[in-house]
Amino acid sequence: MNYPDESTYGTKADIISTVEFNHTGELLATGDKGGRVVIFQREQESKNQVHRRGEYNVYSTFQSHEPEFDYLKSLEIEEKINKIRWLPQQNAAYFLLSTNDKTVKLWKVSERDKRPEGYNLKDEEGRLRDPATITTLRVPVLRPMDLMVEATPRRVFANAHTYHINSISVNSDYETYMSADDLRINLWNFEITNQSFNIVDIKPANMEELTEVITAAEFHPHHCNTFVYSSSKGTIRLCDMRASALCDRHTKFFEEPEDPSNRSFFSEIISSISDVKFSHSGRYIMTRDYLTVKVWDLNMENRPIETYQVHDYLRSKLCSLYENDCIFDKFECVWNGSDSVIMTGSYNNFFRMFDRNTKRDVTLEASRENSKPRAILKPRKVCVGGKRRKDEISVDSLDFSKKILHTAWHPSENIIAVAATNNLYIFQDKVN
Amino acid sequence: MEWASEPGEEGPKPGLNPPLRAAREGAPGRMEFKLEAHRIVSISLGKIYNSRVQRGGIKLHKNLLVSLVLRSARQVYLSDPCPGLYLAGPSGTPMALPQLPGEPAAGPAAGWGEPAPPAVPAAWQETQPHPERSAVPDAQRAVDAEPAAPGIDAGDAVLGGQAAAGPAWRLMEGPREAAAGGPGNPAGASEVFPEVARAASHHCGRPPGGEDQPGALGATPRGDCCCAKEEAPAPPPIGPRKRGAAGAGGVGGPAGCPAPSSTPLKKPRRDLEEPSSGAAAEEEEEMETGNVANLISIFGSSFSGLLRKSPGGGREEADGEENGPEAAEPGQICCDKPVLRDMNPWSTAIVAF
Repeated sequence: MNYPDESTYGTKADIISTVEFNHTGELLATGDKGGRVVIFQREQESKNQVHRRGEYNVYSTFQSHEPEFDYLKSLEIEEKINKIRWLPQQNAAYFLLSTNDKTVKLWKVSERDKRPEGYNLKDEEGRLRDPATITTLRVPVLRPMDLMVEATPRRVFANAHTYHINSISVNSDYETYMSADDLRINLWNFEITNQSFNIVDIKPANMEELTEVITAAEFHPHHCNTFVYSSSKGTIRLCDMRASALCDRHTKFFEEPEDPSNRSFFSEIISSISDVKFSHSGRYIMTRDYLTVKVWDLNMENRPIETYQVHDYLRSKLCSLYENDCIFDKFECVWNGSDSVIMTGSYNNFFRMFDRNTKRDVTLEASRENSKPRAILKPRKVCVGGKRRKDEISVDSLDFSKKILHTAWHPSENIIAVAATNNLYIFQDKVN
Repeated sequence: MEWASEPGEEGPKPGLNPPLRAAREGAPGRMEFKLEAHRIVSISLGKIYNSRVQRGGIKLHKNLLVSLVLRSARQVYLSDPCPGLYLAGPSGTPMALPQLPGEPAAGPAAGWGEPAPPAVPAAWQETQPHPERSAVPDAQRAVDAEPAAPGIDAGDAVLGGQAAAGPAWRLMEGPREAAAGGPGNPAGASEVFPEVARAASHHCGRPPGGEDQPGALGATPRGDCCCAKEEAPAPPPIGPRKRGAAGAGGVGGPAGCPAPSSTPLKKPRRDLEEPSSGAAAEEEEEMETGNVANLISIFGSSFSGLLRKSPGGGREEADGEENGPEAAEPGQICCDKPVLRDMNPWSTAIVAF
């Protein structure tokens, strides 16, 4: 990747938990463990500064969720933002959904650059004027002011989930969205906060018989009746809401038979799907499990059409990764705008890109030391065994505390956002 | 855009993970396998335990995965009974938990090594009419030892509880103390169970299998009876359990020791046990492995939900393995209390942790 521009945003030990571009790529939202949302806006390109093409600067920061305590169950509800999803822009304001484990909120982010001046009954500081002193009447006028971006919660969708919300997805009708927890998926209308429809319920009558949970869900990008959800067993179900009100019976079921030679104590864990994403075309879905990324054709249910090894060298380390809980890390995956490249994160602040057409892949690192503004990212390589070449890093030297779980790709350009713990890296490819 | 081409990294050969610690020389491959399984079981139990005290409530997904690993490891562990495995003492095999690196769990465990396991059930049975609970202290002890190994933080709540339990137990449970004898702990081990037992006996007279029991116990103000809780969200045992352990006024919390005090108690407890650890090492190893085996049988009888699908389970499978994690999630599964009512005491034991 040539000529990346990098801007970093570091906060004090606040780990970024979600990253999402809006539909135009003008805005980039991040959510963190502290319940805050930070929105970056891309600078307008200027003729004078061609090389500073569209850097992202902080546009708005607000506290989306606060820690809550459920007194009935004696449970603390974390304020960590699990997902952010943008609504398409329909007027001057921006709207996004943000969710923690239990509550989804619709936020309106709008600009104010004028304020009224010249009230009759109030003075400029807002204090009431004594009516006796008013001798003339005037019409207040709007005067320019410094741009202020304000975020207001417009809807709060609460109390609909018993389990932890892992996904939200805006429907292509822009009127509804779904929220998914471990066992249920609910369909909401943006205007109605006190009701939601349950469209998937996989909770068994007897919880002792529970064998799988929902791990991610997404609406089809174009068909408002279609959605998919992935499970901890490595399967994906595609459902059509026209078929029935409760979509417990799938329309399509995607599962790859397990390779018996790879069986281990941890086979089930590593087959659990951590993320599922439709391609922009709507024809493919991509799933991420612990060691691989798979691309599925919606028309073929019995196996993926492509499988990419993200970090297969970890296969022999699963027991250690189980011990230190890394095996439970939920990596996300993203498509580029044209669905030709897919990207996902790994450890040691590495992230990987796979070109589906050329079948070439690259490992890059997001770190301050290695990335200076406009420096070219150098491909990295992990050495598995035998002799380690000069620039390679051995598997045992990998830092498992530096994990890239969340990445985002600009909808139309080659700009990526990579969240490395509490730092956000934005890389651009400058096309000459 | 240029993409640097990278040859795919070669993965290791597929297959089961090699054991991470060297087995004894000359030990058969199966033995290594079992050692590994044993270790995984203990780590898994630690994780299940930890999940109860983590912020944000119990994560259903993670606990489900851990329970699956537990089941796999257990199947391996029990698939071919190997007597040598249980008598691991004198040879100094590293399989006993206290040997896990960096874990001073030998302390408390050592203390528990003194009284022979049979003494515990006897002591327990004297005071607790419920016959099934006899094995519970073993489970307790084993679980305490096991979680202690993999994670200190796991140990905190367990050992803290235990540590608190020991001395506090003495203060409050005169007769049991006499029965258990020694500074240590089978009594300590059964510390949590008095809580459970008491919960059982207190709460609307329901049999102690109910998951509600410990929970309801801790959350005294709740007027609801678990009987009536079929539909309504029921109080999770976790919260009240935490309070019980923390001694934050949980009625009937036998220890009544608040969490803060459990930490300081933990230290003297370990100090107490250290001197005897050497002497009791052999015994303790033996006991621990024996207890692990007991624990596994206990869990085995509880993990019916998954074991039903597994071959050769032989044992009674009253409750699913999920009882552990799921029962532990009443906060999430609040509507599923009816399930938990059927839980046998072994599963209650898991939840009690």
